[in-house]
Amino acid sequence: MKEVMDATFMEEVMNSEQPVLVDFWAPWCGPCKMVTPVMEELSTQYDGKIKVVKVNVDENPEISEALRITSIPTIVLFKEGQPKDAVVGFRPKQDFEKMIEKHL
Amino acid sequence: MNQGQDLIVDQRYDLIVIGSGPAGISAAINGVIRKKKVKVFGISDLSEKLTKAPRIDNYLGFFGVSGMDLKNSFANHIQKMDIQITEEKVDAVYAMGDHFAVSTRLNMYEATSVVVATGVSIKKSIPGEDVFLGKGVGYCATCDAPIYKNKVVAIVGYDVHAEEEANFMLDVASKVYYIPMYKPIKKIREGIEILEKKPKEIIGDDHAKKLLFQDGELEADGFFILKDSVDLDQLVPGVEIAEGHFKVDRHMETNIPGLYAAGDCTGKPYQYLKAAGEGQVAALNAVSYLDNR
Repeated sequence: MKEVMDATFMEEVMNSEQPVLVDFWAPWCGPCKMVTPVMEELSTQYDGKIKVVKVNVDENPEISEALRITSIPTIVLFKEGQPKDAVVGFRPKQDFEKMIEKHL
Repeated sequence: MNQGQDLIVDQRYDLIVIGSGPAGISAAINGVIRKKKVKVFGISDLSEKLTKAPRIDNYLGFFGVSGMDLKNSFANHIQKMDIQITEEKVDAVYAMGDHFAVSTRLNMYEATSVVVATGVSIKKSIPGEDVFLGKGVGYCATCDAPIYKNKVVAIVGYDVHAEEEANFMLDVASKVYYIPMYKPIKKIREGIEILEKKPKEIIGDDHAKKLLFQDGELEADGFFILKDSVDLDQLVPGVEIAEGHFKVDRHMETNIPGLYAAGDCTGKPYQYLKAAGEGQVAALNAVSYLDNR
């Protein structure tokens, strides 16, 4: 899964032609560790249809602040440069699938 | 929680039972009878509600028994079947897809199926807590700490374990308020402002802004509610809740395949035999779930 930074967020997420699932995380957050393998599975499953990336909120405060991320993990689905859907906290894989299917 | 240490993954169990009351015990013995690899989390006294009951007249076959005596019968039963209780508090159950990850304060365990039998907690949430969850309200201060760099944070702690998180937050936030809901305070670092007040409500607009007390209010950028017992949907992220209880079908299965619930946590009536019966149904269906995979 690709790491996106404050500096590359515009290019990688906002200007992406495909919908992008962004996982906001930090290394010391337990539930974030559990979300990572789920995100990786989704990345493989929806390869070619959506892009899955992650943002370390600890190292990228600008974008986290701009999007008012106040809890992690937060997973946001972007489409055409707009946040369309968001999930706060861990969710079972099928919940993310539902969210993705809705916007494909 | 869990920061700075790698989680230990034990071997994978067929069935993890969370809770050692009548529902959990009944689930465990039925899982073991069907030769499944079972692990039970709970307390050595099995259930505080049970040991405190003065006299029970509606448990079939045990007329006029005291709660303590019934507890001892349960304890004797599981001892004969060589079932041990692991005394670790489960923080969260993660549905990973093909298995469940069960995390405790110190360890991580894996199971193919799970029966949650945690009973009901009487602890009420603070009004507004659910409205602003993820919008300035959180349940894990150490998780969200990087977001509150140089900001003002208020932490409502329901037990002594919350102090650790408040102390950690002081390294990051510009100001930390600690509102203890218990006594006595053990070790809060200097620099944290302790407010001995009773929270009434969390208010805000699109984001949490203030914590109201009976007398006065507190403004902060972030509010953390650290409870000794987590709400059911915090314990199992993504689980469906109906009127404060797990939503289950006749198989005691939740909306998450392989995850079952039994006992008081599924709803009223809160009775021993109902709990034990549900524990049995849950375990037997978990067994068919395991056998059909």
